[in-house]
Amino acid sequence: MSDNEVTLTIDGKSVTVPKGTKVVDAAREVDVDIPVFCYHEKIGALGCCRMCLVEVEKMPKLMTACTMDVMPDMVVKTTTDKVEKAQKGVLEFTLLNHPLDCPVCDKGGECPLQDNTFKYGPPDTRMEFHRANNAKATPLSPVITIDRERCIACQRCTAYSERIEQDQGLVMLNRGFYNEVGTFNNEPYNNRFSGNVIDICPVGALTNTDFRFKARTWDLTNTETLCAHCGCNCNITMGTRLNELMRIEARPNDAVDDGWICDKGRWGHQFVHSKNKIITARENSVGGGKPTSFPVFPHDCTIQDAAGKVAEAFKKIAEEHGPESVGFIGSPYTTNEENYLYQKLFRQSLGSNNIDHKSYQDTPGLPVDHYGVEQIETANVVLLIASDPTEELPVLDLRIKKAVTNCGTRLVSLNDQTIALDKYSSQSVQYRVGSEALAIDALANGLARELGEPAPAKDAGQTGISAEDMNTLVETVRSSMKICVVYNPSALSGDAVSRVKRLLKLIAKVPTMECGAIPAAPMTNAVGAMDMGLLPDFYPGGVPVTNQDEIKKQWGENAPTTKGLSALEMIARAEAGELKALLVHRSNPVIDFPGGSRVADALRKLDLLVVHDMLETETTELAHLVLPSNGPGYDEGTTTNIGGRVQARKKALETAQAPDWKIINLMLNALGDETDYQKVLDVTDEIAQKVPGYQEISRKSLGKAGCDRAPVTSVDETVAEQSAGSGKNGNLRLRVATSLFSHDKILDASSRLAHHFLPSTAHLNEKDAKKLGIRDGDTVLLSAQDVTLEATASVNNRCQSGGVVVPRASDWQGVNGLTGADGGPTWVEVRKV
Amino acid sequence: MSGFTFSEKQEKEITGILSKYPFKKSAMLPLLTLVQRAERAISPEAMVAISEKLDCSPAYVQSVMSFYTMYHAEKVGKYMILFCINISCQLNGCDKLLEHTAKKLNIKVGETTSDEKFTLHREECLADCTNAPMMRINDTYYGDLTEQRIDQILDSLD
Repeated sequence: MSDNEVTLTIDGKSVTVPKGTKVVDAAREVDVDIPVFCYHEKIGALGCCRMCLVEVEKMPKLMTACTMDVMPDMVVKTTTDKVEKAQKGVLEFTLLNHPLDCPVCDKGGECPLQDNTFKYGPPDTRMEFHRANNAKATPLSPVITIDRERCIACQRCTAYSERIEQDQGLVMLNRGFYNEVGTFNNEPYNNRFSGNVIDICPVGALTNTDFRFKARTWDLTNTETLCAHCGCNCNITMGTRLNELMRIEARPNDAVDDGWICDKGRWGHQFVHSKNKIITARENSVGGGKPTSFPVFPHDCTIQDAAGKVAEAFKKIAEEHGPESVGFIGSPYTTNEENYLYQKLFRQSLGSNNIDHKSYQDTPGLPVDHYGVEQIETANVVLLIASDPTEELPVLDLRIKKAVTNCGTRLVSLNDQTIALDKYSSQSVQYRVGSEALAIDALANGLARELGEPAPAKDAGQTGISAEDMNTLVETVRSSMKICVVYNPSALSGDAVSRVKRLLKLIAKVPTMECGAIPAAPMTNAVGAMDMGLLPDFYPGGVPVTNQDEIKKQWGENAPTTKGLSALEMIARAEAGELKALLVHRSNPVIDFPGGSRVADALRKLDLLVVHDMLETETTELAHLVLPSNGPGYDEGTTTNIGGRVQARKKALETAQAPDWKIINLMLNALGDETDYQKVLDVTDEIAQKVPGYQEISRKSLGKAGCDRAPVTSVDETVAEQSAGSGKNGNLRLRVATSLFSHDKILDASSRLAHHFLPSTAHLNEKDAKKLGIRDGDTVLLSAQDVTLEATASVNNRCQSGGVVVPRASDWQGVNGLTGADGGPTWVEVRKV
Repeated sequence: MSGFTFSEKQEKEITGILSKYPFKKSAMLPLLTLVQRAERAISPEAMVAISEKLDCSPAYVQSVMSFYTMYHAEKVGKYMILFCINISCQLNGCDKLLEHTAKKLNIKVGETTSDEKFTLHREECLADCTNAPMMRINDTYYGDLTEQRIDQILDSLD
């Protein structure tokens, strides 16, 4: 036994646990149940409800097991007469004013108050007074309803607000008899993580407004699946009844979400029943586009026919115009299996490497360890580069807050905008919008000099970072011993992501340094899409197209070994009329890609545009042929989160429609591939065989908590020397920021979260605002390319002067249209209306 | 929220108060007291101003403010009468005296006179049992009360 462990006896059973463990948790290890209300293992000791009283030898009075640390040779008894009497007494008082409206309570059947009363409670009450009447169903926010009569004032929710969210939005108001849970001035309890209080409330006081009176909990079919919104891949339980989604709850997985989910995960899945869902294959009579000479789907054609016809049409075009005339734009939101099969279809059956899933630059693999999110807690320093976890990956935000406040981790950030986490960082270094490449290089050069390697002497000038700040940052990184770099590739322009990788290599060179990174792109399966080879220059598992031997061995003699077109290049070729046919899977280039109306015009020029999607979008409108995709809730497969953890997404709802992998399988079959996958796990097995890094992935290893994939090899990239960017005088550089509750196809106007939607806003620096004569609240016009966008000005120094930050507020705002199609920094003209 | 600013003098006082504590939040009660005395009430706007001084959420300020009986959300009178009703005063007939006071001020216990001069509250033991029955008006203790003495005291205040 090490010094850090303690052995004690609980109800005659000996148990050894780490020092600092609470008695209530130690008891759980040996299956001794100590009832609690206020205690929650992730929130910590409170000692408020008195439910967990136990007897400890040599202690004169009963003790609360939830606040007491284990001590060597402690003897704890939980079933003595004294304890039982105390438990009965506590429950009698807890139930004093509880309305006992269990027959109509949403918590009924899964309520700790019911369960504890059943097991430990008195058979009757001696209280013969009228119960106090408190406010029944009262909205605490648009999505949470509080029943103050049911509340037992255990303070679990307010402790959660203080210790986990750390914004103290929810507090106990008043005192004694009038004690109640509430918010400041009765304002709505509105933040990104408010829904978790519903899960942790041990009675039916905090209830899900959406779920109220919809179903009894025991009638629900619960599916353990994954959230489909961001790269965290939080574990959730989808409760359904009669094939309708009823509610979503968190499903704790320490390696991924630490037991919490954000409100988007909880209420943002209503799209599964959207009226915009695509349910059959169809042919569009395209208004503006030229009619296609390719096979038309008959009305209500079967998916077998449709898939076969699409495949044959692509084959025909590839044969006529060469394989480089067809292309595929996939999605970072789909499962590994779908991505894998689509790249197989295009590479093996059509011979084309024109495969991509994104509009920014990135390459698979990391030159250092790929850290899981848990490693953030053990790192000494977390360095955020261009990442804003609060908006992009909310549950990562909670993890970082936890690390900083409880684990002694230091947070530093290198960003072009101020972010909510700045409050927790010991240093926030801000570079000018668009100068990320220079800023990252400046940090790398600083480190190189420390390591005695050759590096340019003066370099941080154009970034707007003072030499002093940069030196402090270099020193923090150099002396960190263990660092976790969290960077967002989708927020880096140009080739800055390669510079991040060069920086990582340099950090790893520091003696005794443990260096790891988390590529924190906000999309659900961004890491998986790269691993599965949805890239023009990499096969699955980060195998570069130039590695001919490996490719021929795995993918056959005919597998293409020249670099294909990136998504943006495909759009450009389509515009030039050189790309003839494009298949778009669960992606909406018209809105999400840079270039504005040019994208739609380019897509109209295609001979054949097939869109395989789950909801109607601006791109499906342009498609000649539309295939239905089931999407989250209905689909099955695996996704890889930002920490490289592969987990299983399960089917919670039934549909008659064939799953995506089946449709792609049909296309493969139509083109001569004879593999017949019976179930999605057959595809997973093939991935394990064929994709380096995924060898260990199987149904068994995935289990309930998922499995870390092995590192995917990264290639050495050459980074070009930089030329100083030249700007147009008077224009500002645009930074498109992510906002969590963006009004798009997924969160539509009927969404439960519509109250979070933001107006179109342009965040300006004071200096620029003054120069342009713009005041806070003015309506401004931003224009670039041929796109003009209206926004409300907010003068708040969110970025340095020379830049403007525009959060993506909605699809209709069209902010991506402002960005240039070359992927580089964008200059916009800002003027007052 | 706007509408509440500390005066220059208060700002100076606050700087002094904050310098006494290792954690800003520790200055919660002194700041609440400062506002209560100056404004005779603590408005939501003032709570926001305090929360900004102390780096905490306005909800937390309200949580503390609503816990203590000495802070008031509704504006109280110029003279706050706290009438002790604990055992020693009770034995010496405080109930009758309290009733007399309320009648004289023409308000119920817990209310404020319409000219905003007096607010009358019951209070638990104020640690002046030697002089029971007693009451406290703002910061002054008045013991050995009788109906006549109460009339006298109240009439003497302007």
